[in-house]
Amino acid sequence: MMRQVWWVIIPALVILFGLLGYGLTTNPKHIPSPLIGKPFPALQGKDLNGNDVTLRAEQGKPMIVNVWASWCAACQSEHNVFIRGARRYGDSISLVAINYKDELVNAKRWLNRLGDPYQWSFHDLSGRAGIELGVYGVPETFFVNKEGIIVAKISAPLTDKMFERGVSLMSEAE
Amino acid sequence: MKKINNIFASILLLSVASLVMASDVNEDPLEREVLDIAAKLRCTVCQNQPVAESNSGLAKDMRNVIKEQLQKGKNEKEIMQYFVDRYGDYVLLAPPKSGNGVPLWIFPPVLLLLAILVAILIMKNRGERHTITPPAPLSEADQERIRRARKAMAESGENE
Repeated sequence: MMRQVWWVIIPALVILFGLLGYGLTTNPKHIPSPLIGKPFPALQGKDLNGNDVTLRAEQGKPMIVNVWASWCAACQSEHNVFIRGARRYGDSISLVAINYKDELVNAKRWLNRLGDPYQWSFHDLSGRAGIELGVYGVPETFFVNKEGIIVAKISAPLTDKMFERGVSLMSEAE
Repeated sequence: MKKINNIFASILLLSVASLVMASDVNEDPLEREVLDIAAKLRCTVCQNQPVAESNSGLAKDMRNVIKEQLQKGKNEKEIMQYFVDRYGDYVLLAPPKSGNGVPLWIFPPVLLLLAILVAILIMKNRGERHTITPPAPLSEADQERIRRARKAMAESGENE
């Protein structure tokens, strides 16, 4: 009788520890976004110059939306990726920023100091646009294809490699 | 006597006045509703804290969103769905009882049942092992050896 019991217990323990072990290898900060495959929402607000703007995907043109803030150290480390990306792709991709919960003065000073690769920046002082996009920490980057569908969301400082990967995802045929 | 009465009356009046003039301490029912919903949502930057308890900027923003949506007349279910649509099931402190969340709800009771079953089997098995069969009666040869040994012991005792 005892022997039969072990045939149940041991595989059950193996499976349990296997799952727990697997859990240790995953990053708890990585949360899959439910927004992937969904259209990018239209966000109304102001840009850094105080003009009323609507951030929405342009039909027929892929868009990269980078969420950043001047108080975010990791944003500085990825900034050159966008500068290089903007130089490489020019006008074929709209590269737009959401300046997240930031003072205008600090945001503008930051862009003056590090260079401004963005076509324009959305000023999300309240963080409301961020919630609309499921943003939980900066930097985050959205890749939107020319149909206006979010194809990728990166919740980490971007590297050139990730940027290229995002661009190729955007241009993939649906 | 009249003076005492007057004093007594004024004390009474004053104590009543403080009650009348005190502002009602009341809890805004909207605020309560916001916190009730926020208690069921995970603060996505703090991993294991509900939005209701977190002081992080994001949690505060989320509480504001809940408040605004309640003011617009949305119900709890719609508001929870709003966050799930943007942050995924992760934002729910209690995992959903359908789809991906099912194993999480089923596994613990199954594990408990399994543990009880194993415990019962082990206890049963132990009970069986511990029933000792009485030893077989001694053979005639053994009885004889015992008698001889006793006799030898008795004799050696006498010699001392």
